[in-house]
Amino acid sequence: MSHTLSGKAAIAGIGATEFSKQSGRSELQLASEAVLAAIADAGLKPSDVDGLVTFSSDVNTEIAVARETGIGELSFFSRVEYGGGAACGTVAHAAMAVATGQAEAVVCYRAFNERSGHRFGQATASTRGATSQGLEFSWHLPYGFATPAAWVAMFARRYMHEYGATSEDFGRVAVAMRRHAATNPAAWFHGRPITLEEHQDSRWIVDPLHLLDCCQESDGGVAILVTSAERARDLPNTPAVIAAAAQGAAADQYMMFSYYGQTDLTELRAMGVVGERLWRDSGLTPADIQTAILYDHFTPFVLYQLEELGFCPRGEARHFIADGTIELDGKLPVNPHGGQLGEAYIHGMNGIAEAVRQLRGTAANQLPSITNTLVTAGTGVPTSGLILTTT
Amino acid sequence: MHEELTALAERLAALGEQPAPPPLDAVNEAMIRNWRQALGDGHDWGEEAPPAMAQVWSMPGLVTRKEPSAADDILQTLNANGFTGVVATNCEHVYDRPVRVGERLTSTARFGTLVGPKQTAMGLGYFVTWYQSWYAGDERVAEMLFRVLKFQPVKRRPKGKPPLPAIGLDSEYFWEGAREGELRIQKCGECGELRHPPGPMCASCHSAKRDHVVASGRGTVYSYVVHHHPPVPGRTPPYVVALVELEEGPRIVGNILGAEPSEVSVGMAVELDFERIDDEVTLPQWRPAGRPAPAPRPVPERVSDWPALEIPLTPTFIISTALGTRDFTPVHHDVALARAQGSKDIFLNILTTMGLVQRYVLENDPDAVLSGMKVRLGAPAYAGDDLVLTGTREGDTVTVRGTVSLGDHVNATVTLR
Repeated sequence: MSHTLSGKAAIAGIGATEFSKQSGRSELQLASEAVLAAIADAGLKPSDVDGLVTFSSDVNTEIAVARETGIGELSFFSRVEYGGGAACGTVAHAAMAVATGQAEAVVCYRAFNERSGHRFGQATASTRGATSQGLEFSWHLPYGFATPAAWVAMFARRYMHEYGATSEDFGRVAVAMRRHAATNPAAWFHGRPITLEEHQDSRWIVDPLHLLDCCQESDGGVAILVTSAERARDLPNTPAVIAAAAQGAAADQYMMFSYYGQTDLTELRAMGVVGERLWRDSGLTPADIQTAILYDHFTPFVLYQLEELGFCPRGEARHFIADGTIELDGKLPVNPHGGQLGEAYIHGMNGIAEAVRQLRGTAANQLPSITNTLVTAGTGVPTSGLILTTT
Repeated sequence: MHEELTALAERLAALGEQPAPPPLDAVNEAMIRNWRQALGDGHDWGEEAPPAMAQVWSMPGLVTRKEPSAADDILQTLNANGFTGVVATNCEHVYDRPVRVGERLTSTARFGTLVGPKQTAMGLGYFVTWYQSWYAGDERVAEMLFRVLKFQPVKRRPKGKPPLPAIGLDSEYFWEGAREGELRIQKCGECGELRHPPGPMCASCHSAKRDHVVASGRGTVYSYVVHHHPPVPGRTPPYVVALVELEEGPRIVGNILGAEPSEVSVGMAVELDFERIDDEVTLPQWRPAGRPAPAPRPVPERVSDWPALEIPLTPTFIISTALGTRDFTPVHHDVALARAQGSKDIFLNILTTMGLVQRYVLENDPDAVLSGMKVRLGAPAYAGDDLVLTGTREGDTVTVRGTVSLGDHVNATVTLR
């Protein structure tokens, strides 16, 4: 395993703001608050941090965050592309920096006013020029095909057609996430579970997706502090050791429109690429994972991910989840914090924090004997994933 | 509500002609000169007032509160019942005889008709018509009909157009083809591999030699969605976006036109159609196979026997004609206020439109004497646009059409003595 990243780095600190619909603060303030909270959680000082990583889509530059938090000088900074697909990638970049000695302590952060400010769920208004990405958008936006829900729904319809999945199958994911959020005081939907009937009765957003198939929109920030596994063991918290970290893009990958070439719309090959590396580098198998944090911006892709990562055979996720398997008392609890459907949409970073809490034994919905967790990032886009362990 | 309105309309109609506030000034040279200068009217009127000025004599000027019109009660009742939208649809003048400088006019108003409810392009609405007449002594000299549509504003397609595609070196051949009615699929000039979306290099053989084939236009729906929310500029929900697998192999995204969302299914056969967005962009689109394309909207022939008169609608023109017709409504001179009320800019007032139709007729036939004008109003004529008037005379009738970039601003029928 000497040629992999496995076991070299660990998450030693997590921090977050409250999750709301209107933070009332600047995005830079949210980022700074979350970063400071993660540093404090790790038992470090801002001056101990020498690296920062965020999403390409984050509006808070690394230098601005370093200025506000008093981190001071930086020797490593990087950004990860493709929207929510970046989440675990930020930790992968930080781990690589730590493992290679480019940095000693790196904070990954994501902060935005995604509900009170720029809302990702609204229609994308412009192709932004004839760049490679602008041209990708140009085959879609002119047709009023302009929202993430619509882009995912195009996959979901084909999946329903091929495998006989129904809107109720998607609904079971939403019901599970809201059940979990209901007992998580940090969740926006704390105390507000839903029934499958409520899911079915919720209005259409983009048929076949109902409102309750779509994650919420949130204001907030989350930060994750990564350092060497060795150093993490000397810090106050149980380390969440990075057993594997991976990014992945498929052949014929598009930003969120991988509909072309030989692409099969019932698969998320980018997540397959991530999964293969996660299993290989960690030496683990799906049976070793006690809880999975699966990116749940839209319910259908939770089913795809269960299949793509090998938790169940292709096309059978709907049977896999039918009897509460992904709920708190099931065989593979998914998103015990309530996910982005229930807790908050912080572009997947809140899921990484939840995986760390489960390993530490400090989660609101703490599951027994968690030693291995798997976390994924945004799907439909080029993505990323982590396997975190206690050893 | 309908019964209440009908009863009210009957009561108002039964009142017949009622005195209206008398014109403040006698017919006078100063107001005529202001009006003619503003509208660019070069006709030799002698001692007569231009007939199209009829309503100008009754305009109250810059006042804080306008006198209620003969239809006021009806308009208020419609407002209270959700018919809050208003758009002027018709203005008609009858000229009994010319009026002369020095004459002092009186005026009456009467309620006309209430017609509706009717389903219109603006929404469900009622057409409300009323009249105003002008007298010199006991002799009627002119009458005006005014009609508005009061409508329940419906959720309309969000303002604006969908984003246009960015067009680059690697995709311009595609959009050229679409403009010419072809769906072009990129074909590698070396190995012949087909692909969509296009790109600069063949992933199979790395050739940058690009060619294309023209698609047959037959395909099947590989997947589709029905968009309901959120609003997308230029598209009216619910609408279908489909991923179409072409007979030739590649897939392409487009809308399914001419079909209800419930009629669309995976595997459905579709045929190519085109949607022209503007001069640059035509979108390849789809309709169910075997279903004829809807007949294109007939475009009225632009027949004009008379030369076109092009009037640049400068802010000065819009404002000075509004004031020259003694219309101080802010939407005709205050840009910020006009925009706050949902207009693109300040726009031409109706009294000016009437005057410009008259001007156009008399410039082409200086000996004509107008006995009336019937005007149908259309798209607003905003500052910055051009108003182009064309016309044709047949016997004692002249039809005048005035277009702006948004379409027809005015269609008028002018009758001559």
